[in-house]
Amino acid sequence: MIESEINMSESNIENSVTAPEKPVIEFKGVSKRYANGTHALEDVNITINKGEFVFVVGSSGAGKSTFMKLIMREERANTGIIRVNGFNLTKMKRKQVPMLRRTMGIIFQDFRLIPKMSVYDNVAFAMHVVGAPNRRIRKEVINALNAVGLGDKKNSMPNELSGGEQQRVGIARALVNNPDLIIADEPTGNVDPNMSFDIVSMLKSINEMGTTVLMVTHDHELVREFKQRVIMLDSGRIIADNVAGGDEE
Amino acid sequence: MKSGDISYLTKEGIKNTVANRLMTIASVGVLVACMVVIGLAILISENGDRAIKNLEKENVVMAYMKDYSWAQYGEHDKPLKTGTNGEIDASEYLIHNDEEAQDVCKNIEKIDNVQKVEFISSEDGLKGLTKDMFADQEQYFSSFLNEKHGNPLSCAAKVTMENMEDFDKTLEKIQKIDGIDVIRSQADSAKKIVAIKNAVKIAGAWIVAILMIISLVIVSNTIRITMYNRKLEISIMKAVGATNSFVRLPFIVEGVTIGIISAIISEGLLYVCYRIVSERLVEILGNSIIPYSDVALPLLGIFAGIGIVSGIIGSSIMISKYLRKEGSEFAAI
Ligand SMILES: Nc1ncnc2c1ncn2[C@@H]1O[C@H](COP(=O)(O)OP(=O)(O)O)[C@@H](O)[C@H]1O
Ligand SMILES: [Mg+2]
Repeated sequence: MIESEINMSESNIENSVTAPEKPVIEFKGVSKRYANGTHALEDVNITINKGEFVFVVGSSGAGKSTFMKLIMREERANTGIIRVNGFNLTKMKRKQVPMLRRTMGIIFQDFRLIPKMSVYDNVAFAMHVVGAPNRRIRKEVINALNAVGLGDKKNSMPNELSGGEQQRVGIARALVNNPDLIIADEPTGNVDPNMSFDIVSMLKSINEMGTTVLMVTHDHELVREFKQRVIMLDSGRIIADNVAGGDEE
Repeated sequence: MKSGDISYLTKEGIKNTVANRLMTIASVGVLVACMVVIGLAILISENGDRAIKNLEKENVVMAYMKDYSWAQYGEHDKPLKTGTNGEIDASEYLIHNDEEAQDVCKNIEKIDNVQKVEFISSEDGLKGLTKDMFADQEQYFSSFLNEKHGNPLSCAAKVTMENMEDFDKTLEKIQKIDGIDVIRSQADSAKKIVAIKNAVKIAGAWIVAILMIISLVIVSNTIRITMYNRKLEISIMKAVGATNSFVRLPFIVEGVTIGIISAIISEGLLYVCYRIVSERLVEILGNSIIPYSDVALPLLGIFAGIGIVSGIIGSSIMISKYLRKEGSEFAAI
């Protein structure tokens, strides 16, 4: 059964070569083994095109986070080729990593808001540290906060917000540098279930404006609800890649 | 990097320094100790150099003669021949009276490079000596004279040389003249000062080397704690694509701020220390001590240099160790 799934993912790559879409993420024969010997990913082949919305699912320890870290180049593959947003991650020098990161927006499960900074400053921080000019920072931060519906909370401190609101600040921060790709590893993991739907809706509407979104989740209900492409990992291998989404089990 | 970035990052760095007060104080303390020791070593050796130069300017030597006092108190290989009432035999000494001593002076005058010769009788010599002495020593000295019933000083020729370059050669020529015992010059004092200066230099170098290592360790640990306190910010900076130099700069600013604060404190503290030390230095070197105001500016420059360099090195040690870590690893440390 597993073998047939692998064949399926390989045929996907063939498709992408002939398809008119531009690949945003490409994995070819990628394996990742950690220093302690754990094989986190084995021979992963996948193509994700511009404008796609992709759920990454699988049980705990399946390799989902490792997959995301390879895309962000927090980790390096042991074998295979990875291309993201036009960067060849296999050949890339450390010095180029910041340039790769500037093409993506990263959303964290634990929000990672700086507690002593206001909502506004948290979002502005992401622009400051990539050297954006002050005038642009003022404009873009307000735009991003309005986009996630927090324009009126810009002066609040993170601890005054609910989990869902905090994650929306996280989304605004990921958006503010206008990325081509959004990476979110369990963005609803620390959010109330009823707020999760809002978070994903927000990501979906960002996606509809042309940004590719890649999101890891445990929440099957969300996956069923949004009917998007689902990549399923198990023991480091892709065991399903359903473009239709929905009934992955 | 744009100037707006620099001012943003500098503000961040200074904020870190304030937020991290306790470690900042510890770092500043050790750096100050280091700088004060360096400053004192510099001041002592500079003063030593100056004192030696002053001594060398005094191109005057005293050539003592082999007269009766010499026969009585000087060093001799064989026992002295003495007369019936204990008097020393006249053949035991070469200079029997002031006329003979004056002749020796004339012979000295004939030597090239000798500018002036002045005869100092043993009585004049003793007067001059007691005048230069401190009160307690004078007392001891006069009691010594009472015991021995005599003047221990030989008569002497005070010789002024024209040119210091031929100092040693001229000394040799004076020494060869019959009737000359020893020549005292200030070369001995100069040697003593050089020895003190070298000892200060060597001890100072060791102390400074040890303190520098300690201060690097402390500064780099201060930076490490700041990095730990700011791991969240750093992980976000890395995630959104801040360059390493951008991540690094606030920490370098913090290190350099520590260095500059230390330099300013050291400058003030050294002023106080120097006032205390200079009292001792006056005793050893005489009154021509360098005033602090003459060296204040160069010392501040040296301190600022040390502070900035150790700030940069101290912070760089930790930064390069941790910047290899990626965003989420950073959030986890
Ligand atoms: N830094 C690491 N060092 C060693 N093993 C790791 C590391 N990170 C993850 N692993 C292991 O790799 C496997 C996949 O982990 P991960 O990608 O985090 O899975 P998931 O996100 O699907 O739960 C697991 O067995 C995990 O224990
Ligand atoms: Mg995970």
